[in-house]
Amino acid sequence: MNAILVTVVIVNIILALLFSLGAVPILVWVERRVAGFIQDRLGPNRCNIAGFRLGGLVQSFADMFKLVFKEDFRAGDIKEKFIFRISPVIVFVSAFLSFMVMPFADNLVIGDQTFLMQGLPIDFGILWFLALAGLSVYGIMLGGWSSSNKYSLLGSVRAGAQVISYEASMTLALISLLITYGSVHLVDIVNFQSGLIFGFIPAWGIVMQPLAAIIFITTAFAEANRTPFDIAEGESEIVGGYHTEYSAMKFGLFFVGEYIAMSASSAFIVTLFFGGYNIPWVGTQMLKEHFDIVMIAILIILPILSYKFRGWILKNNVWPKADDKRNNESKWLIRVLIMMNIVIILLFGYFLLFGVASTATNIAVALIQIATFAVKLLLMNFVFVWVRWTLPRFRYDQLQELGWKVLLPLSIANIFITALVVVIGA
Amino acid sequence: MGFKIVPRYGKSLKDKLYLPALFGGMKTTMSHFLKNLSDTSNIKTECYPEMQPTDITSRYRGVHRLTHRDDDSVRCVACFMCATACPAECIFIEATQREDNVDEKMPKKFSIDLLECVFCGGCVEACPCDAIRMDTGIFTFVAQKREDFVLNKEQLLANKEGN
Ligand code: SF4
Ligand code: SF4
Repeated sequence: MNAILVTVVIVNIILALLFSLGAVPILVWVERRVAGFIQDRLGPNRCNIAGFRLGGLVQSFADMFKLVFKEDFRAGDIKEKFIFRISPVIVFVSAFLSFMVMPFADNLVIGDQTFLMQGLPIDFGILWFLALAGLSVYGIMLGGWSSSNKYSLLGSVRAGAQVISYEASMTLALISLLITYGSVHLVDIVNFQSGLIFGFIPAWGIVMQPLAAIIFITTAFAEANRTPFDIAEGESEIVGGYHTEYSAMKFGLFFVGEYIAMSASSAFIVTLFFGGYNIPWVGTQMLKEHFDIVMIAILIILPILSYKFRGWILKNNVWPKADDKRNNESKWLIRVLIMMNIVIILLFGYFLLFGVASTATNIAVALIQIATFAVKLLLMNFVFVWVRWTLPRFRYDQLQELGWKVLLPLSIANIFITALVVVIGA
Repeated sequence: MGFKIVPRYGKSLKDKLYLPALFGGMKTTMSHFLKNLSDTSNIKTECYPEMQPTDITSRYRGVHRLTHRDDDSVRCVACFMCATACPAECIFIEATQREDNVDEKMPKKFSIDLLECVFCGGCVEACPCDAIRMDTGIFTFVAQKREDFVLNKEQLLANKEGN
C-alpha cells in the first residue's frame, strides 16, 4: 500500500514539474511562434536536430543551452553580491512552488486509499498561491536594488508599486469567490464547478462570478508581469528594468521564472474560473460510470483529428529547398501519429472487449482529467500570449488609476453583491 | 483661416469601459493568427537563402562593375570624375597611358572599397563615358577578410550585368 502512495506522490511531482518547468520551452516557443503569426511573420523555424524542427520547438532548447553556457558577467559596482545572486532564485522558486498546489485531476481512489492529485498535497491551495505569488516580487525588487543601476532600481520600484496596487484587488476578487465556493481547498472549488446551473450551463466560476473573473484575470496579468502590465521591464523606457544587469543563467532564471509564473497564473485561472480538470457537462462520477462511451468517443474523435492534423502537416510543414533533410520530418511525424493512434486503439479495444477493473478506470479517468487540465492550461497560456501581442503597455499613471480607481472599487462592490445574494439565497 | 476640429475619443461609455476595444483588437490579431496558422503560405516571408529574392529591379544599386568597349577593352578613361564625386572617397584610381590608339588614358589600377561605399550611385552619375555601373544585381557581398572587400579592376571588369 505504501508503495502506491510513494508512486502517486512521485507521479504528482513529476506532473507538476512537467507542467511548470517542462512547459517553459513550449511556452517560449508558443510565444514566439504566435507572435510571428499574429504579425504575419514566421517566427523561429530553422533550428533542427537531424532535420527535426518540431515546428521550431528545437529553437527553445538551443536558446536554453546558450543561456547555460554564456559568460556570467557581473559589474564591479555591485556591492550586495549575495542579494544580487539570490534574487533570481527567489523569483524562480516562488513561481515554481506556487504551481505545486494545482489539482491536475479529481482525488484518485486506488483500493481504499484516496490521493490528492497535486504536487503538494495540502488543502489551503488559494492561500499558498497568494503567499508565494506575492513573494516573487521580492526577487524582482531585491534584484533591481542590488544591481546599482538606475534603470534596474526604477524597474523594481515600479514592480513594487504595481504589486501593491494589484494584489489588493486580486485578493478582494478572490474573497467574493470564496463566498461563492465556501472553501479554500482547490479540489473542492473545482468539484463545485462540475455542477450545472439551470440544468445546462456549466457552473464555472466565469459564469457564477463574471466580474471577479475579469478582475482576477487582469490582476493575474499584472502579477505575472506580462504585457500590458510589464512596466517593471519596460524595455522601451528603462532598458530591461530589473534584469538589466543580469546575464547568462541568472537572467535565465528570471526568464524561466516569468514563464512559470505565467503558467501558474493560468493554472490558477483555469482552476478558479474555467472548471479546472472538469470536462464541461461530464463530471468525474459520470466519466467513471460511462467509461465505455468515453472510450468509444475517443476512438471516433482521435483518428479524425489525427487525419486533419496529417493534412495540416503535409500542407504546411515543408521546407522551400527540395533536397533538404528538414523535408523528411513530415514523413516521420505522420508515422509517429499513426503509431500513437494504433496503440490507443489497441489499448481501448482491449479494454472494451475484456472490461476494465475499477482501479484502472479510476486511473484512466484521472489521465483524461489531466489531459483536460493540460489543454485548458495551454489555452489559457495562449490567451496570455495573445493579449501580449495585442495590447500596448500601460503608462504608469494609467496603470495605477486602473488599479485603485477601477479594479479596487469594483472588487469591493462585487463582495457586497455576492454576500447579498448568498444571504438572501440562504 | 479655417481650422479643423479633431474629434476626441475616449469620452463615450463604450470607450471608457475599455473592454470592447480590447476584444476588438484581440479579434484582429486572432484573425491574423488563424489565417497564417491554417496556411503558412499566407505569410510573405521568404526563407532566404533557400529562396532568393525575385523582385530586384534593373535600377537596383548593387555591387559596381566596369563596362567594356565593343572590343572588350576597358571603357574607363581614368578621368577621376567618379572618385571626385564619391562622398565616401572609396574609389582608388591609378591612371596610365593607353597605347592602342583607342583612347588616351585608361586606369592601371581601379579599386573600390565596398566596406566604405555607401551605395549612393554618385559614381555612376558622375561618369562621362558610362564606364561604371551598379546594375549587377548583387545585393550581398561577403568576404572573410577586410582586404577582400576591396574590389580591384579585374574583379570589377568581371562582374556581369544582372537580371
Ligand atoms: S556608390 Fe557612392 S559611395 Fe559607392 S563608390 Fe560610388 S560614389 Fe562612392
Ligand atoms: S569610371 Fe567613369 S568617371 Fe570614373 S574614372 Fe572611369 S571614366 Fe572617369
